[in-house]
Amino acid sequence: MSSDVKGAHEAGEHGFEPKIIVFCCNWCSYAGADLAGVSRLQMPPYFRVIRVMCSARVDPEFVLRAFKKGADGILVAGCHPADCHYIGGNYRTRRRIALLKMLIQQFGYDPDRLRLEWISAGEGEKFQKTITEFTETINELGPSPMRGGG
Amino acid sequence: MAVTDKVGAVMVVGGGISGLQSALDLADSGYKVYLVEKLPSIGGVMAQLDKTFPTNDCAMCIMAPKLVAAGRHHNIQLITNADIAIVDGQAGNFTVTVRQRAFRVDPTKCTGCGSCAQKCPVETADEYNEGSKVRKAIFVRYPQAVPLVYSIDPEKCIGCGICSEECKAKAVEYDQKEKVFEIQVGSIIVSPGFEEFNARLKPEYGYGVYKNVVTSIEFERMLSATGPYFGAVLRPSDGDIPEKIAFIQCVGSRDEHCGNEYCSSVCCMYSVKEAIIAKEHGGSIKPSIFYMDLRAFGKEFDEYYNRAKNEYGIRFVRSRIAAVSEDPKTRNLILKYTDNGEPKEEVFNLVVLAVGLTPAADAETLSRVMKFRLNDDGFCQTGVFTPVETSRPGVFVSGAFSSPKDIPMTVAEASGAAAKAGTEITSARGTLVTKKEYPKEKDVAGQEARIGVFVCHCGINIGGVVNVPEVMEYAKTLPGVVYAEQNLYTCSQDAQERIKGKVEEHKLNRVVVASCTPRTHEPLFQNTIKEAGLNAYLFEMANIRDQCSWIHMHEPKAATKKAKDLVRMAIAKSRLLEPLENLTIKVNQQALVIGGGVTGMTAAIELARQGVRVHLVEKEKELGGNLRKLHYLPSGDDPMEHVKRLEGEVRAEKNVTVHLGTTAKNIEGYVGNFKTTLSDGKEIEHGVVILAIGGQEHKPEGEYLYGKNKDVKTLLEFKEMLKKGEAKGKSYVFVQCVGSREGDHPNCSRVCCTGTMTAATKVKDKDPQADVYVLFRDIRTYGFREKYYKEAAQKGVRFVRFDDERKPVVEDKGGKLEVKVTEEDTGKQLVLRPDYLVLASGTRPQHDAEELAPMLKVPMTKEGFFLEAHMKLRPVDFATEGVYLAGLAHGPKFVDESISQALATVSRAMTVLSKTTLEAEGIVASVDESLCDGCGICVPTCEYKALEIVAHKDDPKKKMVDVNVGLCKGCGACVGACPAGALTQKGFRDEQILAMIDAALEQSKKQEVK
Amino acid sequence: MAEASQAQWEPKIIGFLCNWCSYAGADLCGVSRYQYPTNVRAVRVMCSTRISPHLVLDILKAGADGVLLGGCHIGDCHYISGNYYTEKRVRLMKRLLEESGVEPERLRLEWVSASEGEKFSKIVTDFTEQVRKLGPSKVKKDEKLRSRVAAADDASETFRLKALVGRELNLVNKGNVYNNKLDPAELDRIIDSATEEEFERSLILELSMSKPRSVKELGEIMEVPTDKVLRHIVALRQKNMIAMEHPEGFTPTYKTIVIGGEQ
Repeated sequence: MSSDVKGAHEAGEHGFEPKIIVFCCNWCSYAGADLAGVSRLQMPPYFRVIRVMCSARVDPEFVLRAFKKGADGILVAGCHPADCHYIGGNYRTRRRIALLKMLIQQFGYDPDRLRLEWISAGEGEKFQKTITEFTETINELGPSPMRGGG
Repeated sequence: MAVTDKVGAVMVVGGGISGLQSALDLADSGYKVYLVEKLPSIGGVMAQLDKTFPTNDCAMCIMAPKLVAAGRHHNIQLITNADIAIVDGQAGNFTVTVRQRAFRVDPTKCTGCGSCAQKCPVETADEYNEGSKVRKAIFVRYPQAVPLVYSIDPEKCIGCGICSEECKAKAVEYDQKEKVFEIQVGSIIVSPGFEEFNARLKPEYGYGVYKNVVTSIEFERMLSATGPYFGAVLRPSDGDIPEKIAFIQCVGSRDEHCGNEYCSSVCCMYSVKEAIIAKEHGGSIKPSIFYMDLRAFGKEFDEYYNRAKNEYGIRFVRSRIAAVSEDPKTRNLILKYTDNGEPKEEVFNLVVLAVGLTPAADAETLSRVMKFRLNDDGFCQTGVFTPVETSRPGVFVSGAFSSPKDIPMTVAEASGAAAKAGTEITSARGTLVTKKEYPKEKDVAGQEARIGVFVCHCGINIGGVVNVPEVMEYAKTLPGVVYAEQNLYTCSQDAQERIKGKVEEHKLNRVVVASCTPRTHEPLFQNTIKEAGLNAYLFEMANIRDQCSWIHMHEPKAATKKAKDLVRMAIAKSRLLEPLENLTIKVNQQALVIGGGVTGMTAAIELARQGVRVHLVEKEKELGGNLRKLHYLPSGDDPMEHVKRLEGEVRAEKNVTVHLGTTAKNIEGYVGNFKTTLSDGKEIEHGVVILAIGGQEHKPEGEYLYGKNKDVKTLLEFKEMLKKGEAKGKSYVFVQCVGSREGDHPNCSRVCCTGTMTAATKVKDKDPQADVYVLFRDIRTYGFREKYYKEAAQKGVRFVRFDDERKPVVEDKGGKLEVKVTEEDTGKQLVLRPDYLVLASGTRPQHDAEELAPMLKVPMTKEGFFLEAHMKLRPVDFATEGVYLAGLAHGPKFVDESISQALATVSRAMTVLSKTTLEAEGIVASVDESLCDGCGICVPTCEYKALEIVAHKDDPKKKMVDVNVGLCKGCGACVGACPAGALTQKGFRDEQILAMIDAALEQSKKQEVK
Repeated sequence: MAEASQAQWEPKIIGFLCNWCSYAGADLCGVSRYQYPTNVRAVRVMCSTRISPHLVLDILKAGADGVLLGGCHIGDCHYISGNYYTEKRVRLMKRLLEESGVEPERLRLEWVSASEGEKFSKIVTDFTEQVRKLGPSKVKKDEKLRSRVAAADDASETFRLKALVGRELNLVNKGNVYNNKLDPAELDRIIDSATEEEFERSLILELSMSKPRSVKELGEIMEVPTDKVLRHIVALRQKNMIAMEHPEGFTPTYKTIVIGGEQ
């Protein structure tokens, strides 16, 4: 079954409900998430969006705190590199996420539990796909080490 | 006319990007704006675009904030679905009769939820998607439309009554009638845009007959993620991905057969862009562009074109396609063309017609109603020195209505027209704008959180999926919540009154609304709580519709659980909210204009007329700059006359102080508060800076024997000779692109082709027998300038195209010039022995740019021109507020374009100078001095140069960072970078976000109410 | 063999008769001892309008060769206007049968009053002959036809068709929300094109349920031009009912989104 078709309901197999935190920048990705809604694009319901003004605002501490509190996956979504409302904020985000991936690996987390995506205000479908795929990834990885998983 | 007769309001006709820019500028500088749009929503053509060149920015991403800003602005009244019926009166005081068609939906009640359209049984082609998708008879043009009000298409509606039954807000009003009303305004700006050329008028290309022949705008929708194929490129005939795509240029442009002899200016670039984006969508796609001259004349356009060729492997074929035929079996298309004189046939899977820009559909009506003239091509007539003025005083024009043009030029003109419109009614500035009065803010400092939660059903949009009563009951159990209720529509007018009442009744000091998206609705609720005496920042929203009920429609239990989580997160943040103050910055209402050429003088005069004290600084001993050297303009206007006129006006303006032979030695400060030291030691305080330092003609020392043979001249030098009557010869050769489009200067200098046409035609006019050759790579006489190219050719100027690999070779044969050039098309070598060799050499920046850039902390391009804040939508702004640029300092351009930009800087500057204080963002960075050790890591993360390392307040030996709230835009990038945790972002403090994270991940046991 | 079974074959016809007129007419027919073939199995309903397209299509799927609907004469409906709706709905049913490839003549609507016993016998005789001439219905056995009938069934259940057909009478006779009476021919044209669209879209969803299909494949199976199929897919994607699979080559395929959910 393709990722498109796979229904949201399948994410909850084996009784595992992934906890996913999504940081969305106000100008592009949050608007993209809204557009997914306006277009009624369906996706798994296990993510919670936290709006920040710019993806560059996502402090490493936020990511580490979320993992510590039991998040199974964290998605940071920002404007495409050239589209940043704040000119170049998202270039910094990219570097920061790369570093964080290395860091969480040292704590025993699979680096795939942290993901960065560029989602524009027009990409409702990309938001849907990203959420669906990321939920699948987290499903495959299972619960986070904090929640007794691997 | 007495001062009191002026009306402090402007009507902007046309709500595309042009009208939006004019409206926002004017509304931000003290004028009331009526923005009239013929469609039910604003946005125009730009809202239909997927990406924009040359940065490949997502069009909607960069435009949506402007749409929303216009929709919310308390000084802008949107009048959509409306036409102009009558214009009476005169400049400064017009009476406009507007006819507004019925929406059949009450805009004050419609929440834009879309339930009506989901149930409407009538389908029709969706115009926004060029007919490639379907919409209903009750519809909004596009999902992000402003205003987000549904309207009924009277042509399609069968009157079944279902939408009214579906609408829980009772917004549908079938008996709504057309409204006709009068509006008093002081100025009018017309910006109705353009119409795409109807490709059916070129039957040889088979548009409308062959399914796989599409127009460029249809292809643009195809590329868009919100388009028919969600961004995939597919053949309309069978849904296959096309491998070979042909772009045919100049469809309805440069074509006397269809009556459009002008060049449409933008098609080359949009085709290059569409080819690049198509390639990015699928690597297997192979685009070919068939063109006559590739006109990549704008700022950094040639680099984009080169990338398309070299990095993306897009194929460019110089040939005009005679006809397209279809293989009826495969639906593939066969193109016939000649390549280097040889006839060829090639099969493509999809053909994209680069359709030209034709006058707006209502051009003639507007011209009749408003009494201004159109030009021969049916566009609005303007002059070289009056690029944003129509023939009727008080009525101004911008955008593609006056000539085909791209977005940056349109936006510059839009601001320019706003400046002119404002000057007309300066005496009435501020008379019609309203400032909302709010009750005194309640002091909630130190109070325990008393949160009120309002959960919205949004008709059935939320309530049909999420169990709203359960969410509400759950909210009541959370710490800090003292009151919760549910509403059918929390955004309705009566609900606002309820919220205010509940704030009083329960002494609420925080309000949380769980409904739709803060992007559209936060300002409404913030306004409501302000009316209830609470600080606007004590509001928080949970998005349980767009990001919950709508995307988990089939999982009501999981959606309800998620909605509770989202509400809990919002409440967790809400407990930590604090009132924020919108700090105010004092504004010094004087301006500094650097550069006394046509650009600087135009800006200075216009500012002065708007009542601003201006210091005009010119390094030379006289005003006039490059315009003194042009001698001829293609339009026949006299540049020197204009210089003299401007000089006279500058001298006559008592508001302008001219500093000749002077430069700026040092500039300090920030928007509203600059301090400049001039080279003569004078100090000036001012609120804004306009950089109009111009450019210069490149002196191509050593190239083509320039500087070695006296008969080799640059174009400007040659024009001077012509003017003085010194050019005496029988044979002339012009070489194009000298020092442009090559080496370190990869970009086009924009003006040289047209300049050459002017000079070559002048030579021919004086001596029709003279031999005149123009050696060129692409002739880039864009827009109406095409007629000068045609005129030169008709007068017998010969054009020889050479390949950039095989440039002409010039030799000095005993003092006589010999030019050898290989004609690209035929490969034949021509030997010419001209009396004069004229080098159309490129435009270069002024050297002082390098000194000014670091003083003002503004960036430059690789070539040394200033780099604006955004190539598309902020063409005359810098990211640093209060600093603007115009004219050649921005890049090569024509006089009319420099004037438009000069006026644009005035308009942009007036958004600052019209006020005595500026209100800074509430959401800004702030620093905890006790934690900051002045490491400086944050400084480069700020794109707005708002951070500076200064001596520590407590201990001058130590350092700390200082946040300039006047410059801070509140992105929080610095906060995310600070290693010491000393920086915080108000409204998005670490504790607040961490509280949301914790709340999101809280064990869900507590969630169950029962 | 085939001929033998043809010879033994007797049309199976289901008749729906309204309680107040046609059922009484059938009774009168009996009382008057009018004879007619035995093929019709009559089912009594309170009003002919009770019969939905779904019911008729279901009966055909189950193997019936013909369906006869009997109602009161126009103007005589016991429930005032039920039979007006029946008339409109039968028109839709016939259009859907036509779309799906089933002879619309397998469905007949007749007005039979309580006093028209003889008329009833004539109708039954005539309709049985008509169905006999058409031969046995292939719906049950022919898989292609079955899927088309299923699509017709789905189409008949769409809100759009229900809304249009349900409102037709009012729009034509009483006037719409603007107090205009719509031209019946114009409204029929709108309903016909909506019927065709909804049928073809339902068929696409039906065909792409079990396996992903390309536009060209769908065009071939459905015998619909591929550009039209693509336009339907665009409309279905707008409603989030079908999804694109990402292709290896140049031909994308589409698969119906099956709504699951936790309930």
